[in-house]
Amino acid sequence: MAQPLVKKDDDRDDEAEYSPFMGIEKGAVLQEARVFNDPQLDPRRCSQVITKLLYLLNQGETFTKVEATEVFFAVTKLFQSKDVGLRRMLYLMIKELSPSADEVIIVTSSLMKDMNSKTDMYRANAIRVLCRITDGVLLTQIERYLKQAIVDKNPVVASAALVSGIHLLQTNPEVVKRWSNEVQEAVQSRAALVQFHALALLHQIRQNDRLAVSKLVTSLTRGTVRSPLAQCLLIRYTSQVIRESASNSQGGDRPFYDFLEGCLRHKAEMVIFEAARAITELSGVTSRELTPAITVLQLFLSSSKPVLRFAAVRTLNKVAMTHPMAVTNCNIDMESLISDQNRSIATLAITTLLKTGNESSVDRLMKQITNFMSDIADEFKIVVVEAIRSLCLKFPLKYRSLMNFLSNILREEGGFEYKKAIVDSIVILIRDIPDAKENGLLHLCEFIEDCEFTYLSTQILHFLGIEGPKTSDPSKYIRYIYNRVHLENATVRAAAVSTLAKFGAMVDALKPRIFVLLRRCLFDSDDEVRDRATLYLNTLGGDGEVVETDKGVKEFLFGALDIPLVNLETSLRNYEASEDAFDINSVPKEVKSQPLAEKKAPGKKQPTGLGAPPAAPPTTVDAYERLLSSIPELASLGKPFKSSAPTELTEAETEYAVNVVKHIYDRHVVFQYNCTNTIPEQQLEEVSVVVDSSDAEEFGFVLSKPLRSLPYDSPGQTFVVFEKPEGVPAVGKFSNTLKFIVKEVDPNTGEADEDGVDDEYQLEELEVVSADYMQKVGISNFRNAWESLDADLERVDEYGLGPRESLAEAVNAVISLLGMQPCEGTEAVPSNSRSHTCLLSGVFIGNTRVLARLQFGLTGPKEVAMKLAVRSDDIAVSDAIHEIVASG
Amino acid sequence: MLRLRLQWPRLFFLTFLGFHSCRFNGVPAEERLHWRSFLVKLGADNLKHAKNEELFVASHKSVYIVYTVLGDICLYVVGKDEYDELALAEAIFVITGSIKDICKKPPTERTFLDKYGKICLTLDEIVWKGILENTDKERIKRLVRLKPPTEF
Repeated sequence: MAQPLVKKDDDRDDEAEYSPFMGIEKGAVLQEARVFNDPQLDPRRCSQVITKLLYLLNQGETFTKVEATEVFFAVTKLFQSKDVGLRRMLYLMIKELSPSADEVIIVTSSLMKDMNSKTDMYRANAIRVLCRITDGVLLTQIERYLKQAIVDKNPVVASAALVSGIHLLQTNPEVVKRWSNEVQEAVQSRAALVQFHALALLHQIRQNDRLAVSKLVTSLTRGTVRSPLAQCLLIRYTSQVIRESASNSQGGDRPFYDFLEGCLRHKAEMVIFEAARAITELSGVTSRELTPAITVLQLFLSSSKPVLRFAAVRTLNKVAMTHPMAVTNCNIDMESLISDQNRSIATLAITTLLKTGNESSVDRLMKQITNFMSDIADEFKIVVVEAIRSLCLKFPLKYRSLMNFLSNILREEGGFEYKKAIVDSIVILIRDIPDAKENGLLHLCEFIEDCEFTYLSTQILHFLGIEGPKTSDPSKYIRYIYNRVHLENATVRAAAVSTLAKFGAMVDALKPRIFVLLRRCLFDSDDEVRDRATLYLNTLGGDGEVVETDKGVKEFLFGALDIPLVNLETSLRNYEASEDAFDINSVPKEVKSQPLAEKKAPGKKQPTGLGAPPAAPPTTVDAYERLLSSIPELASLGKPFKSSAPTELTEAETEYAVNVVKHIYDRHVVFQYNCTNTIPEQQLEEVSVVVDSSDAEEFGFVLSKPLRSLPYDSPGQTFVVFEKPEGVPAVGKFSNTLKFIVKEVDPNTGEADEDGVDDEYQLEELEVVSADYMQKVGISNFRNAWESLDADLERVDEYGLGPRESLAEAVNAVISLLGMQPCEGTEAVPSNSRSHTCLLSGVFIGNTRVLARLQFGLTGPKEVAMKLAVRSDDIAVSDAIHEIVASG
Repeated sequence: MLRLRLQWPRLFFLTFLGFHSCRFNGVPAEERLHWRSFLVKLGADNLKHAKNEELFVASHKSVYIVYTVLGDICLYVVGKDEYDELALAEAIFVITGSIKDICKKPPTERTFLDKYGKICLTLDEIVWKGILENTDKERIKRLVRLKPPTEF
């Protein structure tokens, strides 16, 4: 293990001899602890022994139950001493020993005595110790004293009681909640720290009572708050209130903004940052609101204190994710931070610049990063790699220099996680930027030539097998793949054999040569490699001639296994070896939804790289397709054109959690309701959703497929199908009611009662909007694509968008109305600009490609006008897009 | 399990003295090894040429770490939520100030261990199981001796 400080290697031995803990040994110290039992206590000596015990505990030494009890009893004897220093040590020692419940009784009376002592400091410490070791029963006995202590005029006593309250709230909330009057009084304390602790406790007590929190914030923002720490808390609670009230008061001035803005001029830096962060995190923050916060943060970027530089760049980094243009003013300051001594600051600066940079600055930035990469740790490098990946997706035209950068760092030293991040990024770029494909595949080929990680080699080989045969010259990859068969371990060799076979199956011209190579693998020393080679040679057919591979064979060898791996695993586990062979058709194909816990924590949706295709569950689209095709009534509708992201129809933490996914077909819409029963004592049966479509005239009810049973915490789906006119982007609102039979479940046996009761549960409305008929499909070069479409099929019109909060808000509104993919980073609007052009691309229902060029301009104060030009393969679709905007 | 999570402190600190003395305050025992190796690595990467009391800052997952060198001692303060890098800087400032006062100057290994008991008491006054309790050096000095603060 690395040793942080080795300056003094030479005289270390001498120094160590003087260490008071030299050669310290648990047994000996426990012996020494017997001095606690002496009738004539020697406070000095006792303190020394306690110090040794503390040292042992802090070193991670543990005492056995017997030892701990013995030490604890000995320690309690020390209450007899009147020595102040020893008493203070004693308090600490009891806390560190954390005695068991039956031992606590021994010290309770001594501590209670101290708690009523005339000496304030005895009171404060006794409170801290008691609360640390107490249980619920004891707590009710001392509650009275604690309430008094909260309003004690000595701030140390009050703080001790308040901090105890914060800890006790976790274990005995109902007791602590009774103290809110006293805590409320303490919030007004003149002592800075008392106010801080009281505010924290009061907020925790009331955190579920929105109105009370709002009142608290309102009164404190008008009054005075003495400590910067407390002021920071107040700012946090204020932003909470703003968040919660945002939905009620659309438009108008934002409440408390002036308070936050005022805090930007506070004398404590801590408060300034908290306020700046609060402002940048306001939902739908305007550039006018943002400016003062950014200005303050920019000043801190060149502070001499590293903590302030870190805090500033960290905050700006976050802002850059949502408002990249607002941060561009700081770019020059940020660039100088790239050489910051503190690597965390430098990394944050780099990644921020990557987010805010424009197309022209990419090359310069990459040069700076190249120098920087060699002297940071892997975990920072991963962050940079991820930032570069998103930059490349934003500016696809720059793929060449970014891809080169990735392949260069791929060749350098690095651990597995880092290499995996790079490989994942290259794979994603290959998938999303067609032009980058051949180049990227060759980089990967070169990498596996000397890749030390079996996992990455096999994943890359698999990927090559999928993408390689589709390139213009597949033969050039064969050499790289076949080299693996010579030089690698058995796992990689087997993967290479499969990849070769894929080339053989997909590219008929290569088949004879592939057969020669596969035959050589028949003499491999590993069973798996030989088996695979034999299997492929026998099934691909044609005996090595140039013939087309049978489609069924391709499907058999390389088709997706349309059974969820989890299900297969369970079935195999349950299978008992017998005469009957295992029947793969007996494995259920229904995709079991994610467990409750995972769904509650929606992670960031990141594009997955290599890890995804073979091992991980199929993408959501695939999962939906498989789910829908497994249900006979729905399979007949064909393939869905688009499946929306799930929309929650219930509030968080209600009895039943329901969300809906809209599947759009040419002539139908299917609502897939994902239901979860969160009550262990209930089982639901015959679950269905009754949909009222009176506000959706163009839709006609077709069928509803109820869910037979919905046990606790095991999600299930019910479906409702509607008809709609073909090709028309019909819209409408639907109100939903969940209907079911509820049965009680016996907690002991887990079995449901026979009799159930009909019940229903009101869900929120759902809406089918125009954007549901549009797939977001990006393109790398908008101009080329635009010009490739017939100019005669273009439709242009102008619209007044009325008063808008800002240009950016108007742009975002139109993008989400159309549901199209912004191209070339044009969704970001520079602050203070008076006009903006945004480029969108997508595929409209009926598989028609659509491109749109939107030009926005400010015509008056806050009045926004837009010129919309649409090109598509079908004039009717161009018209339809205009209709959407006109009616939107 | 749940209780364990709730009790996870929002603020904790450790002092390292070489590799053989390491004090944790407020870290559940089962997490110590993980933190120890993480922080030792962080220190090894960054503190080699650090000046005395120069502050370093880093973030790791959802937590922030502010750390420094004080004589022979490496000091790390770790926090999350409201204990962000700025609050941690405040805490580390009190800790370094108090340790310097106790040891009379930037501590050597020897002086730190000689005053170990007093330093434990001081740390006990500054952070209590994840909550910053005192931030004033002079007051802490009095509290360790069970003297009331001078001003109310």
